[in-house]
Amino acid sequence: MKRFLLFLALAAAAGAVAAQSWPSRPLRLVVPYAPGGPIDVSARLLAARLQEPLGQPVVVENRPGAGGNIGVDLIAKGPADGYNLVMSAIATLAINPSLYPSLPYDPLKDLRHVALLVQVPNVLIVANDLPAKNVQELIALARQRPGKLDFGSGSTGSTGHLAGEMFKMMTGTYMVHIPYKGSAPALADMMAGRIDLMFDNLASSLPSIKAGKVRALATTARTRSNFLPELPTLDEAGLKGFDMTTWWGVSVAAKTPQAVVDRLSAEIQKAMDAPDMKERLHGMGSEPPAIRTPEQFTAFVAAELKTYTELVKRSGAKAD
Amino acid sequence: MEGIVHNLGIGFVEVFKLQAVTMAGITMTLPFNIIMCLIGVLLGTLIGVLPGIGPVATIAMLLPVTFSLSPVAALIMLAGIYYGAQYGGSTTAILVNLPGESSSVVTCLDGYQMARQGRAGPALATAALGSFFAGCVSTLIVAMFAPPLAEVALKFGPAEYFSLMVLGLVSAVVLAHGSLIKAIAMVILGLLLGLVGTDVNSGVLRFAFGISELADGIGFVTVAMGMFGICEIIGNLEQKEHREVFTSKVGRLMPSKEDFRRMIGPVMRGTALGSALGILPGGGALLASFGAYTLEKKISKYSHEFGKGAIEGVAAPESANNAGAQTSFIPLLTLGIPSNAVMALMIGAMMIQGIAPGPQVMTERPQLFWGMIASMWVGNLMLVVLNLPLIGMWIKLLTVPYRILFPSILIFMAVGVFSISNQPFDCFLMSLFGLLGYVCVKLGCEPAPLILGFILGPLMEENLRRAMLLSRGDPFVFVSPSKPISLGFLIASAILLVIIALPALRAKREEAFAAEDT
Amino acid sequence: MKIKSPQDFWAGLMFIAFGVFFLVVAQLNYQMGTAVRMGPGYFPTVLGGILAVLGAIVLVGSLTVEGPPVAQLHFRPLIFILISSLAFAYLLKPLGLLLAGMALVFISAYGGHEFKWKEVAILSVVLVIFSVLVFVKALVLPFPICPDFIEVCPIR
Repeated sequence: MKRFLLFLALAAAAGAVAAQSWPSRPLRLVVPYAPGGPIDVSARLLAARLQEPLGQPVVVENRPGAGGNIGVDLIAKGPADGYNLVMSAIATLAINPSLYPSLPYDPLKDLRHVALLVQVPNVLIVANDLPAKNVQELIALARQRPGKLDFGSGSTGSTGHLAGEMFKMMTGTYMVHIPYKGSAPALADMMAGRIDLMFDNLASSLPSIKAGKVRALATTARTRSNFLPELPTLDEAGLKGFDMTTWWGVSVAAKTPQAVVDRLSAEIQKAMDAPDMKERLHGMGSEPPAIRTPEQFTAFVAAELKTYTELVKRSGAKAD
Repeated sequence: MEGIVHNLGIGFVEVFKLQAVTMAGITMTLPFNIIMCLIGVLLGTLIGVLPGIGPVATIAMLLPVTFSLSPVAALIMLAGIYYGAQYGGSTTAILVNLPGESSSVVTCLDGYQMARQGRAGPALATAALGSFFAGCVSTLIVAMFAPPLAEVALKFGPAEYFSLMVLGLVSAVVLAHGSLIKAIAMVILGLLLGLVGTDVNSGVLRFAFGISELADGIGFVTVAMGMFGICEIIGNLEQKEHREVFTSKVGRLMPSKEDFRRMIGPVMRGTALGSALGILPGGGALLASFGAYTLEKKISKYSHEFGKGAIEGVAAPESANNAGAQTSFIPLLTLGIPSNAVMALMIGAMMIQGIAPGPQVMTERPQLFWGMIASMWVGNLMLVVLNLPLIGMWIKLLTVPYRILFPSILIFMAVGVFSISNQPFDCFLMSLFGLLGYVCVKLGCEPAPLILGFILGPLMEENLRRAMLLSRGDPFVFVSPSKPISLGFLIASAILLVIIALPALRAKREEAFAAEDT
Repeated sequence: MKIKSPQDFWAGLMFIAFGVFFLVVAQLNYQMGTAVRMGPGYFPTVLGGILAVLGAIVLVGSLTVEGPPVAQLHFRPLIFILISSLAFAYLLKPLGLLLAGMALVFISAYGGHEFKWKEVAILSVVLVIFSVLVFVKALVLPFPICPDFIEVCPIR
């Protein structure tokens, strides 16, 4: 026991020493997706901003593949020295563990979650010619026409898909899921009236909503969105407890020294508080998340993981 | 009409307007937007010429730079990169058989052959001039018809896309000039290879054999570099009567009068086709380029020259793909929907600037909208002015001894492919496809139909299944009278199939008769 | 039975092999679904089948119609070019751009006809420097320049 305590003390001291000199060389921020998506863009924004306070460049490296799993696994299994970061998201941390038959990493054991960057609700949008003006009418319509309504999503296992499944389960309705490659083609089909509804990400659907090409009925988070304040949440509209958002943030390998994690967290929060950064993230539909510390983030991840494991199992969604 | 002139006026004023710019503490008054346009097209050309590195990665990397720019300047620069890359990609397609973009694949067929015959100059000039003409016309089209064209684009649902892809695939067979059956087989092989990866409709991972790098499928760049680039290099090195230089014939720089005469029709038709198909999100520009090629091959009286260096084979696809590149901005600018990965990035850039892309951009921010359109035309002009003189330089490059040239090409290819996911695996795949391409060529099978099948296959399947899902299993949805577009494409495919098969059948019958006679 | 067209014979075999491969893998692993609601195995099975059939047609044709022989295979350029790009890819992370690039140039040059040591050496240095300038400096691609065992790289 005494040996163990001594070891802990030494490890902490080593960690502190490492943190003192950290960072002494460039950092690597792995984005587990192809360049250009919102996660990639926000990563580059963050990397540009972190350079000055950290005194070292943060190099963004794209490692696409397997829905983000490859990139996350790379960091999870990599050196825990504070120089290797990854953009982790709801997909890779909360959904994929139950969606994929086997994941090479454990989102809670192999990773330390440092900071939540963006949290965006989804919006329940319907085609303009659908005879449902609010959530109640939609539910009634769905009950009248079981199996006739189509709901689109950006991919199997995406938040858009799972939100739809949750909706179906809570309302006892049956709608057919139509997966697309990304939400843009799904939106296009909805504008043309080929599919009936979607639970799309706020950022990608906002322009169409504002232009009147589609109609928004509710948002999926627990609290209303400031972008569409007149919209009720699904929770308010009768689906009690409905709370789904799309989110992503920064994580590191589990054994990264605490001091490094704390410093990283502080710097990232400072970067996100900068007005121009806030403005740009705002342009992506994000509002500053309430979660500000690594501990809160980790607790959040654990809660989301539990929710989605349950949801994926009950809905039967699967990716091979 | 006056509305258009007025709007274009706003646009050009915006593009040329002088702004106070502070750099290194010195404040100058510069036409900043024009300068950004120039930087964009220069960068784009460079990217297009470097095999493997495409506009998507470049634009993504430059996004942080755009933060400090005004929205107009940022978008003008990014757009410049995009179509600059088209021009650059055509250059490598002609010079070294490497398609920079998927839509340059078709240019390789005749363009590269022209280069081997010492006609690289006319090929490059044709590409540049055809692209410029197409750019001008399609910019006008975007300016005048953007909203109604966007509505047309919306009419294309999964059934229509599927039928269009079928037509595209049948056209792909036309591309080959050898055995018809082997061409069809190559297309199907390409289709199958394109299915590797995650299936959109079911989420199942197919043909990956546990290799997680294959979860998102095999990239187009990897296959193209392997089958066109590596294969070609090996082929060239094999020549026993080793040509010291790539081609000792360095012909004229400019197209001859005869060339110009032959160019006009293909350029026009290519522009029309490209403008029409470019508005379709997902694959429009590619279909345009080889649709144009197929069309020309079928109607030209020089069709026997196709595949061996017919100038129409460069003029048509080049005009088509540039027209397609311009009109692919339409869904973005009018509906806020991206047609391809680059447009998705532009949306990202717009959102970072606080602009919500969508129909309201036209009315709420006319300077941005029309400034972008005007910059497209200016960018095209810059590219032509840049590229034409460069032709002389490129031709000189071809006279460099091949033993120096090919390692250079190879290292750029390797770097480009590696940078796709910063993993050795893609280079491994590229080598594998190089081997496959090599074997295919030895066996008399052509790589081009395979690559086209590769790109179109997954799209076709995705749309087929989605159409069936939406129609709840009714297979007649594709030919139903309520979907005239879909029906039309399928009829056209059938007709084209017959047209293709007829000469082959006739040839077989003649062979059979000849055999009988002897 | 004489093979009248070796090229077509082997081409036919190749197509049959690919077709059967895809068909079998799809049948063993993925759901077919129905024609109305296709599963992931449907398309590959059908296409694989068609490919195999086409391959068979080509094969049979090769036994009856005269055709060209298989073009001569030259192994030296094939092997060296392929190895050079593999070497580059797998050596890049451990050895850095400088060494991996030079390896690529040397190995690929060896696959050609004329190999003059001094010339290739100069070429490799020029190309590697150019690559560093364009790819790492200008385009900021995350490539390591120096090998892992060198602690601090003089070029950054």
